[in-house]
Amino acid sequence: MASSEAFSSSGEDVISRKIDILPCLKTNKSVDIDTVCELQKCVTWIKSHGFSRVALQFPDELLHIAVALVTQLQTRLESVKVFILGDTSYGSCCVDEVAAQHYFADSIIHFGHSCLSPTRLLPVLYIFGQEPLDVQDCAEQISKLLPDPATKLILMYETVYHYAIGCLSERLSKQYKNLVLSQLVIPGEGCPDSEGDKPLKQTGQSVDQSDNGVCLCKCGRKIFLSKQTVLGDFTVLYIGGESATLTNLIFSFKECLFFTYNARDRIARKENVNVNKMLMKRYFMIEKAKDANIIGILIGTLGVSQYLDILSRLQELLKNAGKKSYTFVVGKINVPKLANFMEVDVFVLVACPENTLLDSSEFYKPVVTPYEMEIACNINQEWTGDFITDFHQILPGGSHYVEMRTEDEMTTDVSLISGKLRTIGTGDTPETGTMILPRSETLAVTTVQAQSAGEYLSSRSWQGLEKKTGETPIVKAVEGHHGIAMGYEQEPIT
Amino acid sequence: MVNFTTDEIRTIMDNKLNIRNMSVIAHVDHGKSTLTDSLVGKAGIIAAAKAGETRFTDTRKDEQERCITIKSTAISLYYELNKDDLQYIKQDRDPEGNPHFLINLIDSPGHVDFSSEVTAALRVTDGALVVVDCVSGVCVQTETVLRQAIAERIKPVLFMNKMDLALLTLQIEKEDLYQTFQRIIESINVIIATYSHESNPMGNIDVDPKKGTVGFGSGLHGWAFTLKDFAKMYVKKFGISEEKLTKRLWGDNFYNAKEKKWYKEQSQGERGFTQYILSPIYQIFDTCMKATKDDALKFAEKIGVKLTVEEKELEQKQLLKTMMRKWLPAGDALLQMIVFHLPSPVTAQKYRCEMLYEGPMDDKCALAVKACDPNGELMMYISKMVPTSDKGRFYAFGRVFSGTVKTGQKVRIMGPNYVPGKKEDLYEKSIQRTILMMGRYVEPIEDVPCGNICGLVGVDQYLIKTGTISTFKDAHNMRVMKFSVSPVVRVAVECQNPSDLPKLVEGLKRLAKSDPMVQCTIEESGEHIIAGAGELHLEICLKDLEEDHACIPIKKSDPVVSYRETVSEESNIMCLSKSPNKHNRLYMKARPLPEGCPEAIDNGDVTPRQEMKERAKYLAEHFDMDVGECRKIWCFGPEGMGPNLLMDVTKGVQYLNEIKDSCVAGFQWATKEGVLCEENVRGVRFDLHDVTLHADAIHRGGGQIIPTARRCLYACMLTAEPRIMEPVYLVEIQCPEVAVGGIFTCLNKRRGVVFENNQIGHTPQFLVKAYLPVNESFGFTGDLRSHTGGQAFPQCVFDHWQILPGNPMETSSKPGEVVTTTRKRKGLKEGVPSLDNYLDKL
Repeated sequence: MASSEAFSSSGEDVISRKIDILPCLKTNKSVDIDTVCELQKCVTWIKSHGFSRVALQFPDELLHIAVALVTQLQTRLESVKVFILGDTSYGSCCVDEVAAQHYFADSIIHFGHSCLSPTRLLPVLYIFGQEPLDVQDCAEQISKLLPDPATKLILMYETVYHYAIGCLSERLSKQYKNLVLSQLVIPGEGCPDSEGDKPLKQTGQSVDQSDNGVCLCKCGRKIFLSKQTVLGDFTVLYIGGESATLTNLIFSFKECLFFTYNARDRIARKENVNVNKMLMKRYFMIEKAKDANIIGILIGTLGVSQYLDILSRLQELLKNAGKKSYTFVVGKINVPKLANFMEVDVFVLVACPENTLLDSSEFYKPVVTPYEMEIACNINQEWTGDFITDFHQILPGGSHYVEMRTEDEMTTDVSLISGKLRTIGTGDTPETGTMILPRSETLAVTTVQAQSAGEYLSSRSWQGLEKKTGETPIVKAVEGHHGIAMGYEQEPIT
Repeated sequence: MVNFTTDEIRTIMDNKLNIRNMSVIAHVDHGKSTLTDSLVGKAGIIAAAKAGETRFTDTRKDEQERCITIKSTAISLYYELNKDDLQYIKQDRDPEGNPHFLINLIDSPGHVDFSSEVTAALRVTDGALVVVDCVSGVCVQTETVLRQAIAERIKPVLFMNKMDLALLTLQIEKEDLYQTFQRIIESINVIIATYSHESNPMGNIDVDPKKGTVGFGSGLHGWAFTLKDFAKMYVKKFGISEEKLTKRLWGDNFYNAKEKKWYKEQSQGERGFTQYILSPIYQIFDTCMKATKDDALKFAEKIGVKLTVEEKELEQKQLLKTMMRKWLPAGDALLQMIVFHLPSPVTAQKYRCEMLYEGPMDDKCALAVKACDPNGELMMYISKMVPTSDKGRFYAFGRVFSGTVKTGQKVRIMGPNYVPGKKEDLYEKSIQRTILMMGRYVEPIEDVPCGNICGLVGVDQYLIKTGTISTFKDAHNMRVMKFSVSPVVRVAVECQNPSDLPKLVEGLKRLAKSDPMVQCTIEESGEHIIAGAGELHLEICLKDLEEDHACIPIKKSDPVVSYRETVSEESNIMCLSKSPNKHNRLYMKARPLPEGCPEAIDNGDVTPRQEMKERAKYLAEHFDMDVGECRKIWCFGPEGMGPNLLMDVTKGVQYLNEIKDSCVAGFQWATKEGVLCEENVRGVRFDLHDVTLHADAIHRGGGQIIPTARRCLYACMLTAEPRIMEPVYLVEIQCPEVAVGGIFTCLNKRRGVVFENNQIGHTPQFLVKAYLPVNESFGFTGDLRSHTGGQAFPQCVFDHWQILPGNPMETSSKPGEVVTTTRKRKGLKEGVPSLDNYLDKL
């Protein structure tokens, strides 16, 4: 009876977990799932491609409509098996291909917000959902903030407003002559309106030069700039609230001013984020990464394409730089999980662009992005002030890809964080003295940085169970605890 | 170079008994560099006529412009002694009577902000020429540097400078001048007595004119003398031995010319010093400045000074200078004093070895250092880095204590964190080149034997600022230098364009290397901080950074003071924090460490490396702490050595040893970034009272314990009346009486507290000592000048940390403001997180 519980918890805490439900769906029960979730589009897509097993992926906040949706879909598609995917291990913005494969799905429909990262295997249909957007109010508020009709404006938006953006851009273009509308680059679909151009590169970011101007693809957005203009002249108007998407965009379009319109609160404002300050903070992370001897590579995605390529690149990079790396897959990242690996100096997180920027100030050890690690270890990769959140860019074919080079000779410099010397590259290490030094009993903490986990362990005061043969009294076996470690049966409930 | 070549120097380098390594130390503006010039003039690197005007050792442009020494500069001098004078050398001397001497001299800055340069200079020298302006007397910095010299076992000799000023401008009477000299000597000896231990292996190091360890003169005019010089002149006249006569020329010895007898009472005759030394000098001054030229020239003849035709054309002051310089050449007097009384490396290293070497006193290195053996294992201490013309590269400057350092030699380069037997901070590399460093010039040299000072090319990148170089595999480090000042004034620097960040960081690294004291750091917030000893120091550092090291435009913030977080009471409740899985509980309390204990940790009287029982005994004796508890100190923090303790006061807890590492990690984290505004914690002991742990090891791992320990420690601080500590300067201000009022007003405005206000001897000068919070000190110098008509010049040295009164949790209070602004600067969430973030209920 208890045996089945020994390996898993009752799941009670998951059930009782509170989730913010999207306001539009919460307040308005009678919301038309059909429209919001574009059922017809799903049906057409499935039918035209002839899929037979379709996985539906929902973010937690949309789970409550999942059942209704499946029922409706199933009635329309009798021959097709449609099912709901369980909780994603990583960000729900990414397509969870691994989970879908467990059920031998041949396609996925991803609902809700998406980071638009390219996927690897399965065909995906993105249904962004629809949130109400008051076009009138938005246009009015924006015109108050930006009264100059000559303002060069790029219109960007959270994916959930995709449905209404045509309407808004039409309204705004009356007011602003130089309005550029960004288009979503939906993986697998190719650029809409690209008039049969070459298919979009897997990398999701590119700059295409043509006679009329430049077509810029960044962060799953595509912008066409005419020849006379440069990106720095533009102001970005973003429809949506504070989110990882916005942070990512601000980093990626750091030369532009940002204005946002939050459709839920109906507030338009100027974003006062000091990008320089943010970049300085990230530069601190790079320095931390340079200091580190032991690196933990955290796998934060199993869906984004080429995640194995970046993993092997990181491993090789770190090896060449004379650092020791360990790879971790821990599911959703939290403080206690990472603090279990005390010997790791810095973690590097492989994830989609939106989840890669993790605020690690509460973490025991910092978490950096692959790009930051690349700058720290690859001499060829120079810091230009640009910030790359998408790891595809540092892989072959990406815009910031450079040959890997670490000095053959070991080079040393001083760390401005620890004030100690650090080395990059592998080189011969000098012979140590012949004297045998007794380990000082009082020297409980070693401030010396370990080179590998084994070395770290040897510096710990407690290294695991001690035998102490003969020192401890012999006792007869006693009955132990029952149940699972999270709460044994005889333990008082806390 | 007129007088000597590198080859000649190299030859003399082997004769270690004829080497003197010395530094020139003094208060700011007492004339070190000018005096050094007269020595350089004598040694023949620059023409003698330019001495007193060029400040040879001020190699930097800004040093020349500001007339202030910023960096210490080394030069090698060559001096040939009269064979007859060799008898004056009391220490071991060359048995063959070799009269060629090599003097390695380091001119150091006098401004307190650059004291670290003095420390670095003292380390590589064995003797010090202490220069005192006889008009201002012994000043604050004189005392500071002298104290340091004695602690490093550096033998001092004294030079009374600026006699020209006393005679020409102030027209001090002879007897008064004697009294002034006497007082200065007394004050110097008081300082020496205060800081030298009774069992001083250097022997008696008091300065005494009779022994010849005090010189008098004027560096600017280029003349100087010791009593011996005059005794020589008069030896025939009096018909007694030179030695006896020297003794009569100082102190209460009065000569009755009629009776031709010496008396001890003033009423019986004229004081020897005033009558036979000061009188002729005063006469020359009078005749040159007041009488006709013929009289002056006649007088010159009388004292045996031969003037050239051109020199006879000179007028008044120029004539006076020339006459004095010819009569009592400063170079000779000073160089003789140095050669006679300052120790050779052979003499000095015998007693300095135990202070310098960390290893056992009977290993190969220690024996070679004690014997100053050029054939022994190499031991060299690098005391500072000197920028080369090649950007980003440095000469490693230091002293060879044993063995011989050669170009191309493979050596072990050991940084301050090197521990024998480990690989940390250890590099094995070849020396690209050894060089001689002489003021503005460097000269390549094949090899340098022990007892000498030189520079190395090619080791700079393996050292942070200082280090030990050896050929011996089991060599220990040479002890790191202790600075008398700390970097408490900080500014944040920023580059205009984020793409310049790598240049800024590279520049900061170079800056950090080029200065022994400055600290450059990147903070968690991404800010780049430069910390220096004072405003002037920072100003120079910023200029260097912008112009030489980073070469990009730099924005600098207003000065930022670093604060410390502490507690003032014991935690009012037992703090409990639960691990994220709720299965482990930590119970802790915080309370302030006993008064004086944090300082004892700072000073290294109590260290993590000490033997546990010995440390417990010390703590119990000095701070009345419980011996049993003190034996269970888990660790110091932050960085494993800071002034906070984590103590285990639990009784019989299971698995406690398993979570020790995790608790220590949490403690290091929490003391490095305190709860109030992520500043370092200071002076807090945290007691771990009890823990309950999950029975399964997996559920009490680091991941569960580290964040919990941190939370619990934060809760402890918040419940123990947390306080903010601010750094406080000791300010010493010398000024005339009229200015004292202005000083008080100035200090009052800035929360300064005067604790001493005395007249200096019989002079009209007053010395005001006060405590002034560093936070209030910005612009203090300027403010003080305007309030006192430019008559007061303050010297600020970091002294201690002091609690900023008030509750930091109230935003309206002063410490509350500090917390708010610091949090804002660091980009933290507004307001101190509330207790319930950290404290859990049972």
